[in-house]
Parts: sequence; structure tokens; C-alpha cells
Amino acid sequence: METLKLNQTPVRTSRNFNINNIKLNNVEIPEKVEEFTNLEITGQTNKIKIENNLDEYFLQYGAGDILINQAKSIANQKLKITIDSKTNKDLFLKFQLDKKNINLIDNIEILANEDTKATIYIKYYADEKIQGFHNGILKIFAKNNANINIIIVNLLNAKTNNFMSIDSAISEKAKVNYTIVDFGGKNNITNLYTNLLEKESDCTINTIYLGKEDQLIDINYIGELRGENSNINMEIQGALKDNAKKHFKGTIDFKKGSKKAKGNENEFCMLLSDTAKSLALPMLLCSEEDVEGNHSSAAGKVGEKQLFYIMSRGFEQKEAMKLMVKAKFNTIIESIKNEELKNEINDKIDTILD
Amino acid sequence: MAKTNLKEINRNIYDIKNKDEYEFKIKKGLTPEIIEEIAKQKNDPEWMKEFRLKALEVYNKLELPTWGPDISELNMDEIATYVKPKTKINDSWEDVPEDIKNTFDKLGIPEAEKKSLAGVGAQYDSEVVYHSMREDLKKQGVIYTDMETAVREYPELVKKHFMKCVPVTDHKFVALHGAVWSGGSFVYVPKNVKVDIPLQSYFRLNSPESGQFEHTLIIVDEGASLHFIEGCSAPKYNKVNLHAGCVELYVKENAYLRYSTIENWSKNMLNLNTKKAIVEKNAQIDWVTGSFGSKISMLYPMSILNGEGAKTEYTGISFAGKGQNLDTGFKVIHNNKNTSSVVNAKSISKNGGKCTYRSLVRINENAQNSKSSVSCESLMLDNISISDTIPVNDIRTDEVEFSHEAKIGKISDKAIFYLMSRGISEEDAKAMIVRGFAYPISKELPVEYAVEMNQLINLELEGSIG
Repeated sequence: METLKLNQTPVRTSRNFNINNIKLNNVEIPEKVEEFTNLEITGQTNKIKIENNLDEYFLQYGAGDILINQAKSIANQKLKITIDSKTNKDLFLKFQLDKKNINLIDNIEILANEDTKATIYIKYYADEKIQGFHNGILKIFAKNNANINIIIVNLLNAKTNNFMSIDSAISEKAKVNYTIVDFGGKNNITNLYTNLLEKESDCTINTIYLGKEDQLIDINYIGELRGENSNINMEIQGALKDNAKKHFKGTIDFKKGSKKAKGNENEFCMLLSDTAKSLALPMLLCSEEDVEGNHSSAAGKVGEKQLFYIMSRGFEQKEAMKLMVKAKFNTIIESIKNEELKNEINDKIDTILD
Repeated sequence: MAKTNLKEINRNIYDIKNKDEYEFKIKKGLTPEIIEEIAKQKNDPEWMKEFRLKALEVYNKLELPTWGPDISELNMDEIATYVKPKTKINDSWEDVPEDIKNTFDKLGIPEAEKKSLAGVGAQYDSEVVYHSMREDLKKQGVIYTDMETAVREYPELVKKHFMKCVPVTDHKFVALHGAVWSGGSFVYVPKNVKVDIPLQSYFRLNSPESGQFEHTLIIVDEGASLHFIEGCSAPKYNKVNLHAGCVELYVKENAYLRYSTIENWSKNMLNLNTKKAIVEKNAQIDWVTGSFGSKISMLYPMSILNGEGAKTEYTGISFAGKGQNLDTGFKVIHNNKNTSSVVNAKSISKNGGKCTYRSLVRINENAQNSKSSVSCESLMLDNISISDTIPVNDIRTDEVEFSHEAKIGKISDKAIFYLMSRGISEEDAKAMIVRGFAYPISKELPVEYAVEMNQLINLELEGSIG
């Protein structure tokens, strides 16, 4: 099997630091795939146009060329979602991998036209017993004044390989808010590039991840600020148990011309076992003087004092641990407006931490 | 708001060029014959000659780094790796040839020796030309000498430690260093001896199209302490010069070492230096670094905390002006329980200069109850400069407290406004803020060196309103 070299950082550092890319030896990329039939689309389907003809678009980074080429050539789900007005109702896409739909390769384009507003949920599930494969690409165009919420929920099982390449181009005064729940996948590789093209463009990325057993999570977020007064906020909260391993690469890149732009990045990893591993590279790149960039990164175990306090109120250690993790994740989970999904995520946290 | 006009470093003193006179200059390039000739010129023992030749083999096998600044302009066929000055090693400045002595006089070394140092080593091109230490330290068993003398007089001590902390396989320029090293200092501080006043080695490269490859080996034995200062400079030439020194520090149980560097190479210098410390139980190494010179620097001092309770602090500032690309930072490996590291890094980019902070914090599986705290701040003084922060944080156990913070930005308008509202002029307010920015580093230096650093930064802000 060919070694896959994926998720390269925009700037290289020493090879000995083992973070410039991720190498996978145990993953087979299918050359042919069957039709994928288990997609459910619900919610505001009448105000949002959904078609199967995609525009020819370009992804600046992506998880890897082989994955991008595959998604562009043999995707078994192609969706172009066009938003032409403001809608307060949500759109849900639910992809469920099962015995008959073991491979999902989706190529989704979202075009949010000027002055539009929408919330789109994209959810990925896999039946517990299958060893599936998911490779998705998602391109978002947010035109002037568009305000788009994208909620990506990965609740795939721990046997399925998951690859996701996301790319957004954000125009003047447009906003793209990502909420990403990243719990599933044996190898769970995500690349998210966001291009803040014009003045007052804005992007928020709120992510929670949870790793168990031998899961490998490799996250590569890249925000390039080009517009004046543009703004990016990345908040990444995660927890790792067993032998799970996480690589987080987060880049905020202030390009020339991004005067008065702001970028903040905060990453915190809770280590729930002494064999879990956290590798982080929070990068700040700056070619413009009049900007404000901050990043912070921290790792450690659950605070013993807090744990003791909760346990002194009658909780067992495991339950206390769950409460602590949920408390860390709470701000991000609470930003999801759908109660049913919130409950589902909380239940999943309980299951993973059991 | 008006631009801050921060003066470029005044290099008049550092740019003094002496005539390129030498007793012997090796021909340019890197071949086994050239290495053998260096070994012969230096009267190396056989083991050292063999070591050099093996290092050359490693050098030829290793690739250039695939990251960091572009160093493709370096052509080893155009660099003379050994230049022997027209003098032997002296223990009196009076015996040092006039032109060389004048250079060190202007750099203030003999004066500093009288006022505030316990010992001085001065290297000119490839060889040490002056070495001296206070008698009372000699009586306590402190050894401070040039590396060649150490190889001859303390062969067992040198063999046991030489390029063991920094193996030649680490990277291409360490291998190069192993093949062509010359000069540098050897320090041994015996058990429980406290050297209260610093020792200083100063490295001066005068010869054009040449390289300096000094080796510094310091062993601070159990319970001992030392402050060691290194300074370096060179006049500017049109073609590139190369500095690929190597510093190996062994800090034994309960020992303390502070290693301070004021680096002010000329702006045609490629500074590809390697520094590493092995720190044992309850011992501590503190690094204080000011990087001002060179065209390109790739310099990441490293602490390996092998002993339980070992500690390290890194305090560094880089100042990149026109045409400079300073890629600096720090690496720490926590290899035992209860170890701790504190990093405080600052950078200033001006006039198209580029500063990069690149780092690694690795807390290994066996380093329970370890703590690490990293803070880096970058100041951009105009919009043609570049400032990047590329830190890697590798945490392999749960019993840790790790935090990293970084900030990037310009001088705060609010802070200027606040100071101006207190009656301080805009110019003075900016000067005050920049000085304050550099203060955490300058306060860590002995006062004479803090003054030198301030001269280097030259924080006088000129009347440049508008």
C-alpha cells in the first residue's frame, strides 16, 4: 500500500518535529466506488436550491492531492447548494455509511449570495460494524454581507477512515461560522482553509474533538487574512483518552494589506490517560504591521482540585471526568441551536468516555 | 500616527576591517585532503584527525534543511575553513599583534576584562589569540582554556564529552563543524566551586570568504556554578562568510550555568550555529540571547532535561533590519520527572527584516509532573517587514502543565496615547515602549552587556514625526 503524505502545513519546520505532514501506511484509497444512497436532506429545502451540477472550483490546500482528485473525479455524492435569501430555518444533510454504502466521497459546493443568511448542518454517521471510507470536499463562497453557519458533525465509528477538505472564500462583510464536532474516524484527517478576502470579512472556527483507543486526529486549519479589518477566531477544545493521538496545526497568516485585522487562536487539549499524545503547532505569520495576532495553546490532565470537588459531591471518578470534559466543550456545544443534535453530542461524549 | 524611526544598529566599531593577513589560509573547498591539512596544521592527535574525516563523510551524506531561510547561496567551494592568524596564543594583551589587539580594544574586551570578568578568551579567525583567567580560580581547579590546549592536556575529559551532546549526525552543519572545527573555549568548573564573576569568550572573524567553526565545551560539575558570556562580530564583506560553531554544555547534578550571548555578526554572515545543554538532576541552565547581526541566522539553543528536577529558562531577543532573516528560537526536551522550562522570546522586525521564532517543547512519557511555559512576542515596526511564529508543542504524558502564548502586533496606539496624555512626547513614548519591550532580556544581562545591547538596539528614536 502506498504511503499517503497528507495535510501539509503551509510553512515547513524541522523534519525531526514530525509535524510538517502526516504519513499513513494503512489506508487504501478506493479507485472505484458504488452509488451512495443513504443521504437524507431535511429542513428548509424550498428556499435553498440543491442541484447535482457543480462549478469547477479550486481548493487552495486540501488534505492531499490524491484525495482532492478523487473527490473531483469519482464523488458518489455531488451537491451544489445555492442560498439566495435570508432563511431562519435550517438545512440538514445526513450521510449514513452502512453495509450497502460503505464508501462515501462527497463534493459539496455552497454558494451564499449577497445579503443571505442560512444555517447548514452536515452530519456523518457510520454503522458500528462497518469499516467505511469517507472523503469529502466542501467549498463555500460567502458573497458580500452573507452570514452562513456551517455545523459539521463527524460521528463516524472508530473503524472508518475520515478525510475532510474544506475551503471558504469570504467577501466583504460576509461571515462564515464553523462549528465542528470531530469525534469519529480511525484516521481522522481534516484540512480547513479560509480566505478572508475583503474588508470586514469574518470567520469563526469552533471545534471540539474527542479521541479514544488508537485514533489518530490530524487537524490543519489555515486562515489567511487579506481584507482590512478582517477577523478570524479559532477555538479548539479537545480530549484524548487511551492511546489516542492528536496533531493540531493552526495557522493565522496576516497578508499584506490586512490592516487592522485581528486573529485569535486558542487550543486546549485535555489528556485523559498517560499514553495519549498531543502535538500542536499554532503558527502566526505576519507581513502587515497594523494587526493584532494572538495564539495560545495548552495541554494537561483534568484539574485534580476540580475533579476532587465534583467527586466530593457524590460523583464517581468517570462521571466527574465526563462532567469536566462537557464543561470544557459546553460553550461550543451550546452555540448549536438544534436541541436534538446537542443531546446527541452529549450522549456520544458519554459513550466515548465510558 | 507618525512612524517610529528606529535607527539601524551603528556598526562603525564592528565594521573595522584589518588587512587580511595570516600565517596560513587553507585553500577553499571541502575535501579529505583539506581536512587532513587542517589536522596537520593543528597538530591534531590521530583520534581527532579520524573524527574529522568521519564527520566529513557524514556531511557529504546529509541534505540541506528543507525548511527555514534559503541558504542556497552558500557555496562551500568558495569558503576557506581554516585561517591561522599571525600569532600564537598569548596570556598578555601586550603580546598580541598590534592590529589584532586594536580590534579587541575597540570592541572593549580588555577593558571589560579589567572591570567585570574573571577570565577572557579572544579568537581571531580560526585560532584563539588571547586567553587568561584569574589566579584564584586556577587555584580552585577551574580550567578555562582554548579547545586545542584542552585536546592536548585533558584528552580523557575531552574525548568523553566532545560532540557527544551534539553528535555530528544532528544536521549537515554540525557535521561540517566536526570536520573543520578550530578554536573555541574549554571550561571545567570542579565540584561545588562557584565562579561568581563571568568568563567571556569573544569570537572575531576578519578574513573574507572564510568560516569560523569554534567549539565551546563547558562542564559544570556537581554543585558548581558559572556564568559564561560569548560575543561575536565580523566586518562586512561583499561575499558570504560562514559561522558554524558548536556549543556543548554539561550541567551536572545541582549545578548552575548561565550562558549569555550577544551576537552581532556582519550582514554578509550566514550564522548556522548549534548549541545544546545536557542538564542533570536538580541542575539548571539559563540561556540569555541577543541576536542582532548576520544576514541569515538559524539558531535554536536546546536544553535536554535528563535529570529529575532539572530546569531551564530561555530569554531571547532578535532584531532584524534590512536584508536580515533571523530564524531563531529554542528547543527543550523534558526527559525526567518534575522538570521545568520557561521561555520568554521577543523579536523586532524593521525595514524589511524578517524574524522567525521557531521552537520545540517536548515533554516525554517519563516526564510526569513537568511544567513548561512559553511566551513569545513580536513587534512589527513597519509594513514591509515580516514576523513569523512557528512553535511545536509535543506533549506525551498527561501529568503536565503546559502553556504557550504568542502575540504579534505593532506598538499600541493606546499605550502611546496614554503616555502622551501624561505629558510625554510621542517620540519619547514610543522609545519608552520599545525599551520596555526589550527590558525583560536586557535586565538578565550584566550591566555592561545590557549597555552594549542597548547600544546595539540603539533605541534613540529620532524626530521623525510626519
